[in-house]
Amino acid sequence: MAPISMPTNPGRCAEIALAVALAVVLGLFRIPLPHLLYGGSISLDAVPIMLVALHRGSATGTLAGITYGMVNFMIRPIIVHPVQLVLDYPVAYGLLGGGCGLLHVRSIRWKTLAPWRRQLILITGLLVGNGLRLTSHWVSGVVFFADYAPPGQPVWLYSLLYNASYIIPQIVIHIILSQFMIRILIVRHGNQGEG
Amino acid sequence: MPALRNLTLGRYVPTASVVHGLDPRTKLLASIGLMVSVLATPNLPVLGLYFGFLAVSTRASRLPAAMLLRNLQAFTWLFLFTIIMHALMTPGTVLLAFPWWNLTVTREGAHGGLFYGLRLAAVIVTASLLTLTTAPLELTGGLERLLGPLRRIGVPAHDLALMITIALRFIPVLIDEAERLRKAQLARGADFGGGPLRRARQMIPLLAPLFISAFDRADRLALAMESRCYRGGEGRTSYHELRFRRHDLLAALIATMIGLGITIVPRLLHR
Repeated sequence: MAPISMPTNPGRCAEIALAVALAVVLGLFRIPLPHLLYGGSISLDAVPIMLVALHRGSATGTLAGITYGMVNFMIRPIIVHPVQLVLDYPVAYGLLGGGCGLLHVRSIRWKTLAPWRRQLILITGLLVGNGLRLTSHWVSGVVFFADYAPPGQPVWLYSLLYNASYIIPQIVIHIILSQFMIRILIVRHGNQGEG
Repeated sequence: MPALRNLTLGRYVPTASVVHGLDPRTKLLASIGLMVSVLATPNLPVLGLYFGFLAVSTRASRLPAAMLLRNLQAFTWLFLFTIIMHALMTPGTVLLAFPWWNLTVTREGAHGGLFYGLRLAAVIVTASLLTLTTAPLELTGGLERLLGPLRRIGVPAHDLALMITIALRFIPVLIDEAERLRKAQLARGADFGGGPLRRARQMIPLLAPLFISAFDRADRLALAMESRCYRGGEGRTSYHELRFRRHDLLAALIATMIGLGITIVPRLLHR
């Protein structure tokens, strides 16, 4: 894994920046979840970050996630606790990008891989990335609920239920879109070789 | 799916106020420090004093108080959760009883619910004051300068600021593009309604050209940067240089005094 801090690479910066902009735009298309009483919804904002991570690897994926977290904080700030500010924005999305990027192998040629292997790699990447993201949101929720719920409450369970209620449907939607993501990755590899 | 053209991004409201004119680093650090202090506030009267400070800050920002209250509406569920949980789960003197459901509201619980609800509101309003008075690009500049010393341990502060700036610049462009594609798909009979899975699937014809076009733009932008020999942050100057001025020092001192005043002083007085 290359270090996050590398000399400025315009190609990498531009790709991350445009992916982040696209993530913000996709975040505007909210898909309401009928089972959530508090009016929760999901969006496809994580898809561009995961694509950058799968295309360029874990370090770039982490950087893309952190950048998106910061932009998201500036554009849609939902701040209820200082620790939550860090864990729900840069850390959660950084882990999403970093986790997804772990499944990037430099020699991967998406075109030449067997379809089932492509699908397996991509879905594992989605699960690892989203799992790590869920962990960050979960810890953030535990910190929040520990400060606001009465003593003796199972705060870890509240946090897990709340965060899983929208992350799990989001993972399902990501898996449904996995074929589409593979097609985009093939186009990117076709245009840029190994990036 | 909403029409995207009329959406406003971010919460920044420009006014010619003293708070708007502060250095973003001052506002960022003061807000985080004050949020931490609010969480350590011991009781309701002290929290009341902090709300007085927030009222003065709102006045100084020339922001309508209704705007801050509207921001709080988004957190209704969280307030209800906090207040109800405390009211029902804290043992003490019974105020109200619901024997059918085996539930009681206690005096201590009602007091706790009110205190924690107000504390949550104080944190949210503090954070809102930061985002309402600081433009995203100013915030980016402030973050770059604050993260600057971490470059020694490998934090790419300049790259982060550059990417945030480019992303913010391209969001309106991509919104226009998404709107154009949405209309094109609607004209071809696309229906973006239905359940979550159906909606996600129906977005693919919209997503594919949007992704390809965004990554094409990224390639062209990278080429433009390389052809201009862009080599990162070392020695680069900025059109808007941040300056820590006298009124920043004053604001930082006031925030520190308020922060210490609502956390340490009440504890010292109760010794």
